[in-house]
Amino acid sequence: MRNVTIYTTPTCVYCKRTKAFFGEHNVHYQEKDVASDSAAREEMIKKSEQMGVPVIDIDGTIIVGFDQPRLAELLDIKA
Amino acid sequence: MEDLHDLVIIGSGAAGLAAGIYAGRYGMGVLIIGGEFGGETAKAGNIENYPGFASVDGYELMDAMKKQSEALGIRMIDAKVTAISREGHCFTIEAGDKTYEANAILFAIGAERRRLGLSNENELTGKGVHYCVTCDGPVYGGKTIAMVGGGDASVKGVNLAAEYVQKIFLIVRGKEVIAEPINFERMKKLGDKVEVLLETSVKEIVGTQKLEKLILSKPYKGSSELVVDGLFVEIGAQPNVELAKSLGVELDESGYVKVDTMMRTNVDGVFAAGDVTNHFGRFKQDITAAAQGAVAATSAYEDHKVHGDLCVLHARPESVSLHV
Repeated sequence: MRNVTIYTTPTCVYCKRTKAFFGEHNVHYQEKDVASDSAAREEMIKKSEQMGVPVIDIDGTIIVGFDQPRLAELLDIKA
Repeated sequence: MEDLHDLVIIGSGAAGLAAGIYAGRYGMGVLIIGGEFGGETAKAGNIENYPGFASVDGYELMDAMKKQSEALGIRMIDAKVTAISREGHCFTIEAGDKTYEANAILFAIGAERRRLGLSNENELTGKGVHYCVTCDGPVYGGKTIAMVGGGDASVKGVNLAAEYVQKIFLIVRGKEVIAEPINFERMKKLGDKVEVLLETSVKEIVGTQKLEKLILSKPYKGSSELVVDGLFVEIGAQPNVELAKSLGVELDESGYVKVDTMMRTNVDGVFAAGDVTNHFGRFKQDITAAAQGAVAATSAYEDHKVHGDLCVLHARPESVSLHV
């Protein structure tokens, strides 16, 4: 099973879309809210070298934004 | 024949989804080709002026419309339309790696956020420069940010970001802020947390690995340099009209798709709704987009009653002989 972490903010639409995508494909993930968790925020910035959300970490590969084709590729999700 | 639909709606924001609901209830075979699900509404944060909802998150509102569409059997795909061609009353749509055909097209494709057009802007996007305050505003907890734009969207952005950040400069090119009074009053109540810099624009974005400061057109406290951690741009949007133009759809003097009162364009079988049109001028709301979608779908239905089978007749004349 892939180790998936998503860094989010509560009002971010792309975070919601990404989580909905995970839900549709039964992807288990850990969510870290960078608005309320400053350690998670620093972790996200360090990993992605930027401050936009969502950031998704799949086994160490970092994706910034809801990039559905890339997520599908990394998670072996067929169209 | 390729995948044929009575109506293909391009765009899945308030206009496109409302059009889908209406067209679905008219019994039309509808395909909605998404692009960015939810359009501007999904990014709007909390919405308090959509009738029936005292307060609703924009994404949740769009998700409810999507579910309502799906319950009517509307087919939705998430893809970017790259080309449309027309032959008689039949349209061929290229999206992703697939081809679709339709008797009618409804552009509900919205608009693209305007950028400042400054050097460094692209390089620093995500690294201090942002275009979605509902997404990235909360990342700036305890920091200082600037918001550029003098309209309702920027004031709503200020009000949202104020829940997280320490200080906000609202940079407004014009002489006044033009926002919905309820939102403006909320901003005023934030007191010193918000400073409004009128008749001021951002001349330069300075930074290498991340945003360091802005150079303003007018000095603030004796300096044209303004040190901020984040810059959010809310200066309106440019309508997505390239696909419409490729079909010969007429634009108005502002570059929006020109429509009549029933949301028909000058091209037979082509309709438009939402932010891609200027139907209600600068008043661009979820309710106006949804209303336009309903009207456009009704026009498409009226058109369908007359021309519903013409796609085959026009585009595939050889198939006519099969019925003669």
